[in-house]
Amino acid sequence: MEPKDKKSVLTVKDLSLTIDEKKILTDISFSIKPEEVLAVIGPNGSGKSMLLKTLVGIHTPTSGTITWAPKAKVGYLPQRFQVDHYLPMTIEEFLSLKKNPEYSLNEVFSLTKMEKSWRTKNLAHLSSGQLQKILLAWAVLDKPEILLFDEPMENVDIAGQESIYRLLHELQETLHVALILVSHDLNLVYRYADQVLCLNQKMLCYGPPHNALTEQKIKELFDTHTLFHHTH
Amino acid sequence: MTDYFIYTLISGVFVAVASGLIGSFLVLKKMTLMSDALSHVALPGIALGVIFKFEPIIGGLLFLFLSIILIWGIENKTKLATESITGVLFVTALAVGSILISETDLLEAFFGNVENISRIQLLIQTIIALGIIGIVAKNFKSLILVSIAPDLTYSEKISRKKLELLLLVLIALTISIGIGFVGVLLMSALSIIPAVTARNLSKNLKMYVWWSMIIATLSLLGGIIISHVTQSVNPGVATVLISAFFFLVSLFGMRK
Repeated sequence: MEPKDKKSVLTVKDLSLTIDEKKILTDISFSIKPEEVLAVIGPNGSGKSMLLKTLVGIHTPTSGTITWAPKAKVGYLPQRFQVDHYLPMTIEEFLSLKKNPEYSLNEVFSLTKMEKSWRTKNLAHLSSGQLQKILLAWAVLDKPEILLFDEPMENVDIAGQESIYRLLHELQETLHVALILVSHDLNLVYRYADQVLCLNQKMLCYGPPHNALTEQKIKELFDTHTLFHHTH
Repeated sequence: MTDYFIYTLISGVFVAVASGLIGSFLVLKKMTLMSDALSHVALPGIALGVIFKFEPIIGGLLFLFLSIILIWGIENKTKLATESITGVLFVTALAVGSILISETDLLEAFFGNVENISRIQLLIQTIIALGIIGIVAKNFKSLILVSIAPDLTYSEKISRKKLELLLLVLIALTISIGIGFVGVLLMSALSIIPAVTARNLSKNLKMYVWWSMIIATLSLLGGIIISHVTQSVNPGVATVLISAFFFLVSLFGMRK
């Protein structure tokens, strides 16, 4: 299960995270190769967001290693991007804060399917779904090798969520980036992911969705049948 | 007009520009009360300067730096919020400073006294102001990013902790240069009120930062001149009132 022919963008080994004596993550190991999509699924409070935060360095792992490919550029989209409703800043100004962009603003606008007129739109006037899109534009600006996408908070409506995941999928294919996405939506996992990692503080499953996600595992993970809609 | 008065005005412009600039970050990062409280920490340092006859600005700076190192250290070691730590430090410093200093000097330290700023202090504060403006210009994008979306700094490979320390250092420097003009109690008039006013007037970041610097400058110059002409109003107090007036006006021109 671990061919070494294509170098991994990211290899995580026995990663554990304990905060205030509370075990958040225990012995997580996985790796992701270029252009691969890894879905991290698990119930609320299972440590999904904390895993991403640890990968980008917001939290320091208690033990274990995180190895990035040399000079790998990482795009990170946090779960929540709150903008003070009074922040005087246009979309254009926000995106120009990015260090070392590889795309022009025009390019990134068409990549993320944003209208040009948005350039001077105020950040504070956007819905949370629209902000998510801006974050995505921000994350791809420097042509990253890998994107870490945390599931948007509930306040993004279903239609908004659908479109952001579709856009994410398209970007992943056109830009050939690897992608780690956090979600609780199993349909999404079957549709887009090459690998799936089931997380509930511990790693309950890991592998290609159809092998890893047995009904038994899903039951164990969510402790219920109802979240499992269909397999295809 | 004397030479000295002209030097005061020139120094005032630089001090005000630096204060307005830093103020715009304080408002974005929601650190306004923290910086206001922090300014009081300078008091014991100023007192030592008065007692031992050295430039009060140096003593003030020394105490400000000691406290930001303390604040930053405690914040990184414990779970206490910066606001709470500053709260403890500031009242303690205020009490210590009040014991050390005579009543007239205390009033001066509280509200500032333009007439008593030495030429050396004018020079020192102008140089520091230029330094602040230069450092901000060089790190503008990172400082803005850490102010509005600190979580995004990690994937940019810029150190959030270092930037936050840099911001604290810049705040301390800004407070130290404003104290001579407006005193420890009124320092926020030079940084916070202009920035809040600018936010009311601006629809983008560029306008916001410029307005903040302009309003700070107009307020301070207005305060110094009014005080000079009337010979009765304290310049710090005049500066506060002018900037508060700008704020009121900005409420009517507020942009959505």
